[in-house]
Amino acid sequence: MTQYHLAAISFTLFALAAAGFLTAGSLVRMLMFLELMLNAANIALVALGTPASQAYAVMLFAIAAAEAGVGLALIITLATAFKTLEAGNIKELKG
Amino acid sequence: MILTAAIYFFGGSAALATLLMLFQRNPVKAALLMLAALLATAGLYLALSAQLLAVLQVILYAGAIMILFIVALTVTPAAWRDKPAPALIRRVLGLAAAAVILAELLKLSTALKAVPASRQFSETGTLELARLLFGPFVFQFELLSLVILASIVGAVALTSKRRNAL
Repeated sequence: MTQYHLAAISFTLFALAAAGFLTAGSLVRMLMFLELMLNAANIALVALGTPASQAYAVMLFAIAAAEAGVGLALIITLATAFKTLEAGNIKELKG
Repeated sequence: MILTAAIYFFGGSAALATLLMLFQRNPVKAALLMLAALLATAGLYLALSAQLLAVLQVILYAGAIMILFIVALTVTPAAWRDKPAPALIRRVLGLAAAAVILAELLKLSTALKAVPASRQFSETGTLELARLLFGPFVFQFELLSLVILASIVGAVALTSKRRNAL
């Protein structure tokens, strides 16, 4: 097994999550796939196998948590204003 | 040998859960599939000798972040979530774009084929990680606290505005 195989696992997960992000209609679902994309990036970091890469992965965890918190707050605010969770139905910026 | 098998098993499980999530219309079931993918990733970290990260993955991703998603799904009325399946052309375009991303990434990383991955099970202690986080990476680590503070303020500001509007 080489580093290429480990990178391939991470890239496959990233591509699958990206496909989900691009095809999802609902905002919550899009954020879920965004988290999975971040998770795949984290796997690539951990696969490097050095303690420094693991330290960076710990920092990415914190970023992911912050992103989920703000993202869901934004989505709930948008959903209340527009009465929908569909990204395609949110067309006005002046809310 | 067993570590290599574990890496492929957990990686494959995570990929399978993500793939099933793509075709799952029910949002709660999709969230549970995401949980499966995140737990499989925790197993992958364990196989990659990142014990602390495996525990953090279960606590933070599978615990805290998943709870956030489930709460977000329960506080929004079901009527807002009901929708027809996306148009076929959009699905095909999305999948094609993802396939291009995958092909490009794999093509770019062919140089990694020459780099062997050391797959001996080892212990990465918390002390070693803590020394790194509070030593060479202390600036990034402190900067992270600012990011989290900003996200807390942002989330509270957004939701309190909503409470006033109601």
